[in-house]
Amino acid sequence: MKIKKNGEIRTAYFYISPLLTIILLFILIPIVGTFINSLYRDITYLPSRFTGFTNYVDLIKLSDFWNSFKFTTLFTVVSVSLETVLGISFALLLKEVFTGRSFLRTILLIPWAIPTAISARLWQLMYNYNYGLLNYFLDVTHTGAKVNWLGTARGAFWAITIADVWKTTPFMTLILLAGLQTIPDELYEQAMVDNATMWKRFLYITLPLLRPALVVALIFRTADALRIFDLVYVLTGGGPAGSTRTISILGFHYFVNGDFGTGSAVSIIIFLLVFIFSFFYIRAGRFKETL
Amino acid sequence: MKEANVKKILIVVGTIFFTLFVLIPVIWMLFVSLTKDLGFLQGGGVNLTLSNYVNIISNKNLHMLDYLKNSIIISTTVSFLVIFIAGFGAYAITRFNFPGKFTIPLMMLAISIFPQISIAGYLFKIESNLRLINTYPALIFPYTAWTAPLALWILISYFSQIPRELDEAALVDGANRKNILLKIVFPLSVPGLISAFLIVFIACINELLFALLLTTDYRAQTISVGITLFQGLHGEIPWGELMASASLVTVPLIILTLFLQKYIISGLTRGGVKG
Repeated sequence: MKIKKNGEIRTAYFYISPLLTIILLFILIPIVGTFINSLYRDITYLPSRFTGFTNYVDLIKLSDFWNSFKFTTLFTVVSVSLETVLGISFALLLKEVFTGRSFLRTILLIPWAIPTAISARLWQLMYNYNYGLLNYFLDVTHTGAKVNWLGTARGAFWAITIADVWKTTPFMTLILLAGLQTIPDELYEQAMVDNATMWKRFLYITLPLLRPALVVALIFRTADALRIFDLVYVLTGGGPAGSTRTISILGFHYFVNGDFGTGSAVSIIIFLLVFIFSFFYIRAGRFKETL
Repeated sequence: MKEANVKKILIVVGTIFFTLFVLIPVIWMLFVSLTKDLGFLQGGGVNLTLSNYVNIISNKNLHMLDYLKNSIIISTTVSFLVIFIAGFGAYAITRFNFPGKFTIPLMMLAISIFPQISIAGYLFKIESNLRLINTYPALIFPYTAWTAPLALWILISYFSQIPRELDEAALVDGANRKNILLKIVFPLSVPGLISAFLIVFIACINELLFALLLTTDYRAQTISVGITLFQGLHGEIPWGELMASASLVTVPLIILTLFLQKYIISGLTRGGVKG
């Protein structure tokens, strides 16, 4: 029996070794490497020099860094909240039985399936001052003056948030819909017998029972939003005047400009920030139980 | 007002909002891709034409078809590699008891949500030294590592539903583990394989940060990079051609998604987030 067990363990490691190898080579080693780089002055054409935590100290003193930090967290809070509200509404709608439900379920995946770079371009056109549908609408209906969506810090913030909510709400909806489907119908039937109103049923049955799914989806999306890069990079490039530069974009700019030391320090900061959330995500998701 | 009526109104309003919210940007994209110029917004007439599509396909300097080809080759290769690597991993995790059985998949899950920027700079350095920049492997390796954890979790959830007794019976009949995986477990979890394949494929088409940093021209750049860097020659963005390029990628992806939505939904709800 002992021999069989050892054989099993060997086979198990043999089967899982390609997975571990590729993760080790292309993720774990690069993360450690990035951390080591962050401790050096590492700028193209300059001799490399160990500087300890100088890059981090310099970053903390830099207003650009704090502006990135503020933008990224504000964006995360606003967009995740909006998509949660929309996600719950859409999920509740899709749970009802009515003509058109299967049509809605079908089109729901469309924003998810469109690559982010493309959806960013699509929204760039929607927001375009002269040719955008949004300004055209404002103009034709006389509801307001044309908005310079991408040219002002405030406009750009909302432009990015709306485009992100459009792209990520389908995912949120699917997760919450899966959560809704685990709530037994009998609970609602009983509540109807007791004459509980729709609002009360939502408040006292749906919301509490949806909570586990909601918490997990929220943490996941928060971690995901904190690392945002592509949508913002294509839509505004971090502008106007750096007002929408997310932490990932800040790091990217350092790399592109050849300052690997500072870029690595920024990368480690965002890595740690996201890691905290992924830790809670794994705990809240009770993933261990499914193994 | 009676509750049934309130509900009816909410459903109608919700349906209209939902439909407009999801479809307007996409319809606008298709519409602009089919118009000659955007002058109609200032009161001119609408000229419907296919010329934008003809231009982006015939103008070799735009390299749209190259980008598309690169994306398809890279994403397909990664998807197959990942299915294979994650398939063996998921089999080990669901069938054997070994130290790390719990730690490894949980660690993988943490990895699947790390920010790409945190390794992009270092990858750039290694790949520069290995002269891999601007080749297919430059993206294939990191993409495989980055998407494998997702596929692993999707496959774990499918494999754990296949009774272990099947394995035991086959073992008694003299089959080895490799054959059990390839001839029993894989065929029985085809929906899981399709779902993992699609999720990985779309993630690779979608990825931008690695692709921007690790490739430099049309020989390896993906369609996401192509669309990102699409510029007009004379300053103003040629919206018609840009939207035609976007549609060229988006329409097949949407059709694929609509036909295979069952697999995508199960992949999304089983892989990442659980209730």
